[in-house]
Amino acid sequence: MSTTLRIKFERTGPVCYIGHLDMMRYFQKAVMRAGIDVRYSEGFNPHQIMSFAYPLGVSMETRGDYFDIDVLSYPDCETIADQLNGVMADGIRVISVTALPEGAKNAMASVAAADYLVSCPALTDDMLQQFLLRKEIIIAKETGKKTSMEDIRPGIFALELREDHMLFMKLKSGSDGNIKPAAVLGALSEIFSIETDSDRIIRLEIYGKDGEGTLVPLG
Amino acid sequence: MNTRSLALSHDILMKIEKPARYIGGELNSTMKEKARVKLRFAMCFPDVYEIGMSHLGMQILYGMFNEMEDVWCERVFSPWVDLDQILRREQIPLFALESQEPVSRFDFLGFTLQYEMCYTNVLQVLELSGIPLSAKERTWKDPIVIGGGPCIYNPEPIADFFDLIYVGEGETRYRELFDLYLACREEGVSREEFLHRAGRIGGIYAPNLYHVTYAQDGTVQGMTPEYEDLPKTIRKETVTDLDAAYYPLKPIVPFIRATQDRIVLEVQRGCIRGCRFCQAGQIYKPIRERSVETLKRYAGELMKNTGYEEISLSSLSTSDYTGLQELLEYLIAECSARKINVSLPSLRIDAFSLDVMNKVQDVRKSSLTFAPEAGSQRMRDIINKGLTKEDILHGAKMAFEGGWNKVKLYFMLGLPQEEDADITAIADLCNDIAALYYETVPKENRQGRIQITASTSFFIPKPFTAFQWAPMNGMEEFVRKAMLTKNSIMEKLNKKSISYHWHEAGTSVMEGILARGDRRVGKVILDAYRHGCIYDAWTEQYHHDRWMEAFERQGLDWEFYILRERAADEVFPWDFIDCGVTKRYLLREWERAKKGETTSNCREQCSGCGAASYQCGICISAR
Repeated sequence: MSTTLRIKFERTGPVCYIGHLDMMRYFQKAVMRAGIDVRYSEGFNPHQIMSFAYPLGVSMETRGDYFDIDVLSYPDCETIADQLNGVMADGIRVISVTALPEGAKNAMASVAAADYLVSCPALTDDMLQQFLLRKEIIIAKETGKKTSMEDIRPGIFALELREDHMLFMKLKSGSDGNIKPAAVLGALSEIFSIETDSDRIIRLEIYGKDGEGTLVPLG
Repeated sequence: MNTRSLALSHDILMKIEKPARYIGGELNSTMKEKARVKLRFAMCFPDVYEIGMSHLGMQILYGMFNEMEDVWCERVFSPWVDLDQILRREQIPLFALESQEPVSRFDFLGFTLQYEMCYTNVLQVLELSGIPLSAKERTWKDPIVIGGGPCIYNPEPIADFFDLIYVGEGETRYRELFDLYLACREEGVSREEFLHRAGRIGGIYAPNLYHVTYAQDGTVQGMTPEYEDLPKTIRKETVTDLDAAYYPLKPIVPFIRATQDRIVLEVQRGCIRGCRFCQAGQIYKPIRERSVETLKRYAGELMKNTGYEEISLSSLSTSDYTGLQELLEYLIAECSARKINVSLPSLRIDAFSLDVMNKVQDVRKSSLTFAPEAGSQRMRDIINKGLTKEDILHGAKMAFEGGWNKVKLYFMLGLPQEEDADITAIADLCNDIAALYYETVPKENRQGRIQITASTSFFIPKPFTAFQWAPMNGMEEFVRKAMLTKNSIMEKLNKKSISYHWHEAGTSVMEGILARGDRRVGKVILDAYRHGCIYDAWTEQYHHDRWMEAFERQGLDWEFYILRERAADEVFPWDFIDCGVTKRYLLREWERAKKGETTSNCREQCSGCGAASYQCGICISAR
């Protein structure tokens, strides 16, 4: 018998320059240090049952990313969060821990959308309105050796200009179609001939869908 | 929360390979308020981050220094070639990982020198830090540049670049040196006067306060200190009680995968064996063990503080650790409960080690390692490798019966007194092991063909070994010997079961020159660096021709340093260092080697090497 715990975490500052695989290895060690009764796979080289919702690119900051672990036992979610926060490196913090109901989809399979924030000083409200009025926004997408054309407009759920020229984006994500924030910035840059910087993007939240198909935060 | 800002801009970090090498902030790294410390020490491993972070010695000194309230020790590594170019082009000074501040602002810059081929990287780090390469040009504005590690048992080739050299184990004298430094700064004495006073501390050598003279034949005649109160010999520092010595129980855990991505438990220091080619075996004498109790406690703490999924035992010859069985039984039980792997070092193959390996490894995937070092018994006697063909075949037979079918064998080519028959014996041994497999394991039980991997490196005579007088082979001879090994393997019945690898010859030749060179070699190192040599330990970065050209430009004959046999009474550049083991003993060993006579190990019988003068370890315990 085991329970799946969904762990929401943030990553800010210099530590953003580590890659996704290293981030996974980091959390595996953290789980060991925290002394969590985690479930391991069978076989000669058992590994922790751990799955991340969405890979974090090098340099991307996050205020809300998720991974799941299976535990054989646990005191309560708050204690697990405290235990993990007791052994974190600077810049990484566990925000919350939730126990998933039995049979819930794993973090990666649940992803439907994600929110991003990126500084975009050249962008005006006018441009944004024009952009959103377009019925289609075709970009060139490279898949392996081939380049195909893709309409990203349906995957753009929301765009807003917020304080300090920060552009907020709610984009379709997951295995069912994934819009990268850099693709949206690229399209803005091309259409309005403005400069955009797709290197310093902050992910704010990742969503799944509830029974009615409404977007809800993963944990 | 996150007040650390990085020395490198976002744009640079996104342009280079593995930016996480340069960001610091790893678990268990130490941040201090610089206003609250009196002395800042930049500790450098002059190679790339992943290599440097795998080195236990650095973790020991880092942890030990940071336990001192008035000291803040930070880390520096060689920037990889991509960042190196950017730092030069954009004139960004090299920085330490923790504070991200320029190295030039530190009080000390310490280098650990683990292999000779890192010398040009020392110059890289100095230059990128804006510190004059030549120690004589430095002022109080520059950090005190100090070197340690095994290479400094012959510090002469790099003497020009160092203010101080620490001979021996770092645990013992640094506090004294720091106190002297702080006192000298307060007193306002000259930098040279500080170096002079430091040179009177045990184990500390101030190279530029010594003058070297050479005889007509080019060998060293003598060395005179510039001050009468400086010692004529520098005696190695040794930790006498390992259980009482500092051990880093909260080592830094890198974000990116280091070469050594696991807990390292140093079970003992030194070695009882007297392999005549091995420098570590001599300079770390006498062997000193940590108690099993201490190690059990360390293991538990380390698992809790790092979260590593693997633990490995470290020493020069772990099979010789007297508490091995008890320690391994404990670790295996403890680790299997916590799902931690026990990674075994290359143990001598016997019933015990096979049993242990069977418990912790997947037999079908793991391989057995033998290090016969030489193919023939004659040669193994010359090098005093206490291993016979019977030992190897017996071990292999037991292993085959236990289900293993992968064997790795390590050999050296170019050993003293070597004849071609000794080389072809390598092929014989490999073939015999393969044949033994087919004899031992019935057809129906075989998991495919046996896989034998034979690797050869080229023998490099090192200071403080019995072979320090020995000639080394040149490049062509090395290549010829590698080809001979290859061809003789190809002639064997079981050639399809044997794969053969050999080490780069050029780097071996260069390592030999740097290992036994004198102070004049320093200008060649500088010249080679100026002509683009860097990361020489990385085969794809190594340029043998550039080094040879540097010798030519500097008018120095490299052959002098490696090709000739040295006379029994020759004065060596490193003779002023006293590592416990005496030159008289080593010479006796050299003579015995030439006669093919073996010498017993420390546990069997004391052979009077001289290390007993340290009054510790096996030298004072019951055998």
